[in-house]
Amino acid sequence: MARSRAFDVRRQSGFAFVALSCFVLLYLPIILLVVYSFNAGTSIAVWEGFSWQWYVSAWQNEKVQEATILSLIIATCASIVATSAAVMAALATTRTSKFRGSGLVFAMINQPLMIPEIVTAVALLIFFAMIKVATGYTGIWYLIIAHSAFCIPFAYMPIRARLQGMDLNLEQAAADLYGRPWQVFRRVTLPQLWPGVLAGAMLAFVISLDDVVITEFVKSAGQDTLPTYMLGQLRRVITPEINAISTVLLAISVALVVAFYMLSQSKKQ
Amino acid sequence: MIEISGLTKTFGSGDSAFTALKDVTVTIEENEFFTLLGPSGCGKTTLLRSIAGFVDPTTGSLTINGDDILSKAPFDRPVNTVFQSYALFPHMTVSENIGFGLEMQNRPKSEVQSIVQEMLELVQMTALADRMTSQISGGQQQRVALARALAPKPKVLLLDEPLSALDFKLRKEMQIELKRLQHETGITFVFVTHDQEEALTMSDRIAVMNGGRILQIGGPREIYDHPAERFVADFIGDTNFVSADLQSVEGEAAEIVLPSGKAIQARSVTGGATSGKVTIAVRPEHATLTAPGALIDGTLQNIVYFGTDTHYHIETDANSTFVIRRQNQPDAAESQKIGDKVGISFNPGVAQVLRD
Amino acid sequence: MSSETQSSRNRWLLLSPALAILTLAAAGPLLIVVVYSFLTPGDYGGVIWQFSTDAWFNVVAERDFFDETIGLSDAHLSIFWRSVRLSLLTTIVAFLVGFPTAYFIATRPENQRNIWMLLIMVPFWTNLLIRTFAVMEIIRNEGVINSVLVGVGLVDQPIQMLFTDFAVTLGMFYVYLPLMVLPIYASMERMDFSLVEAAFDLYATRWRVLRKVIFPIVKPGVVAGSILVFIPSLGAYVTPRVLGGGKNLMMGNLIELQFGQGRNWPLGAALSITLLAIVMVALIFYVRSAGTEETPHG
Repeated sequence: MARSRAFDVRRQSGFAFVALSCFVLLYLPIILLVVYSFNAGTSIAVWEGFSWQWYVSAWQNEKVQEATILSLIIATCASIVATSAAVMAALATTRTSKFRGSGLVFAMINQPLMIPEIVTAVALLIFFAMIKVATGYTGIWYLIIAHSAFCIPFAYMPIRARLQGMDLNLEQAAADLYGRPWQVFRRVTLPQLWPGVLAGAMLAFVISLDDVVITEFVKSAGQDTLPTYMLGQLRRVITPEINAISTVLLAISVALVVAFYMLSQSKKQ
Repeated sequence: MIEISGLTKTFGSGDSAFTALKDVTVTIEENEFFTLLGPSGCGKTTLLRSIAGFVDPTTGSLTINGDDILSKAPFDRPVNTVFQSYALFPHMTVSENIGFGLEMQNRPKSEVQSIVQEMLELVQMTALADRMTSQISGGQQQRVALARALAPKPKVLLLDEPLSALDFKLRKEMQIELKRLQHETGITFVFVTHDQEEALTMSDRIAVMNGGRILQIGGPREIYDHPAERFVADFIGDTNFVSADLQSVEGEAAEIVLPSGKAIQARSVTGGATSGKVTIAVRPEHATLTAPGALIDGTLQNIVYFGTDTHYHIETDANSTFVIRRQNQPDAAESQKIGDKVGISFNPGVAQVLRD
Repeated sequence: MSSETQSSRNRWLLLSPALAILTLAAAGPLLIVVVYSFLTPGDYGGVIWQFSTDAWFNVVAERDFFDETIGLSDAHLSIFWRSVRLSLLTTIVAFLVGFPTAYFIATRPENQRNIWMLLIMVPFWTNLLIRTFAVMEIIRNEGVINSVLVGVGLVDQPIQMLFTDFAVTLGMFYVYLPLMVLPIYASMERMDFSLVEAAFDLYATRWRVLRKVIFPIVKPGVVAGSILVFIPSLGAYVTPRVLGGGKNLMMGNLIELQFGQGRNWPLGAALSITLLAIVMVALIFYVRSAGTEETPHG
């Protein structure tokens, strides 16, 4: 029995095809990159069988070890600093009435999202070069401060969203029930805010871990994070060792982003 | 006893300034169920929040039992609030919510426990003590919010439209429940609502507010039977407004002459005019339908049957209508029909002269 | 009253750490860049503290080495032009792919949409360098595409794709595509599909529904997405460096050159400010159009 299909108002011809191609396109290069990290040969294009050898060689590479440690130290410090600053800033911008200069403060916090990274990188290169000459200090705090700065807006976003979604009455109820400001914050605001803080910290961590441009310009001689180490290696003969390092970094980022997604889903309930 | 005098609150400044409270003066007695009634934006919630400490009045004074509380933070004021949205802490259980205020006051653990137990019994929530507040119904949340605010035994309990989120039947139950709680605890209740019926059934006294001012304060019967201003008469129940000539005032008695030329005694209003053109208010159920030649004559325009009673709409002149409400009797046949000439009459003292 | 000044003091106290870090490591140094653009370059990098407008002059012009005549700097202008051209191209391609993708996601059942969006956003949050590197591996002469083409016998020699403008555009499209999908999806999800039904009811064809109903409604999202792709493309540094090789420079690489081999810090500073200015113009354009576009839809 012939029966015509119901008219689907949402269909647009070709759109599904483009969309699905888009997903393939997004993931194909990454999947190939991961696959070739397990290549037994030295090529990143010719498959010669499965092997863990490049993971082992990356693990044993002293330069990679140092870069990994530096990356983790910087990402940890920067996400802690940025998240703490972002929590305070979010409290200041959501828990008080609209104030003179609020537009400026907002622009300032989001400024790292608007200004091209290369410009900030150059600015920091010049500024820190002056300080390095003046103080003689060439340690990792330049990198931590620089990373903290561009991580602030990423940490700020989910925290502010969480605060705005929170019922202001809860804090007033706590104050009404004899809670002093610090007690209100600790017993009512913070437990509610917690998923936002965690989400913000995770985003900040991922952003710090992934940064290339600013790190490349700010780092002192001999300092390398994983991304800047990889950037340097790309100029040479590329072996699947780079794929192996990339795969590990990808895994960390994906895990954190998926966890972030779960957290932001839970807040909607 | 709460003494509020000359309280004014202006939000913003310059052109965008908005005055939410204008020179509000009122005394709320100990152990009283006091209601602030008015439409949204009338200032009733601002007044309540001024007492709670969430609004900082621009000028005026506010004392509780003689203590000036305006300079105190919300957590230093001996008042507790039941919020319109309940504002129960979602990350705490029912018991933890109820005990929160006591804990903040650093009461000993055993005392907190026993008071929480007592409160759970008072609002009949003992069985659900360990539930999270998101796992209980709206009516139960309402009870927990009440118990939480009552637990620290405040001098004054502030209630911000606490019943507005409940459905009709539950609201009726809670009205009786609230009255019972007020009676049992002996705490002064300050209750904010826009629902006139709620105000009339529960309150000892009502303050009717509009435009940031208190227009009239009085018991429910006083407010209903003898509204002082057009707004009060209009906001609470249905009313007929009739213009009249005021002849003389002697105490509560006012002699008025209606447009038909008939004279009758009405009730005077304090602070109103003593002679000249005035408006009087007559409740629909206080007037009766008679033959023409009564106090006011008109043409029957519409008859609306409501089950318990019937409304008669009478056109008294080109642009005014007078409504009479008559209680229905079983199987009574309708004797009037639309287009009939009819009369309206009411007893001396029923008509209320309005202030404006 | 006293409580208001106190809350104002608390506010600035709470803001101070974030503002201090951002001033120290983001906004403040930008001012130093402005100062540096008016100084004289040092011989081995750095600057000599002597006022000069040469750097700004050199942004677009050059003095002939032999006869001292002034001409336009072809090298710089062609790099500016390439930056703008490739960024526009990237934006257009991203729109052509991103719009149907956003539409596809917005028309999925409600409980699936977040999963599809997650699939779009996960690559965005992963390392930009790694994603660029992944593209590089595919389009290399020894990469998958060429291996397949040569293997099948379609071509004799691998096609040179790496180190071309094509490679740079492909790379930027690849890394910034999620920024196009996200805002378009956001406005599509808010769209009331009964409008589409109403349009069909009033005899519109699918194409006309798309053009006359859907597109005007989601236009703010399209504008936002275009700006979000255009701005980082314009300032891109990693992608043109890895995929464009030494020849196919964009503004970001030109700036870097002045701090590396070129050793002309003031020129680099002036170029940075120029890039910043172009980005600001694009941003202002965006804020303006977003402000006027969104009001009718509330």
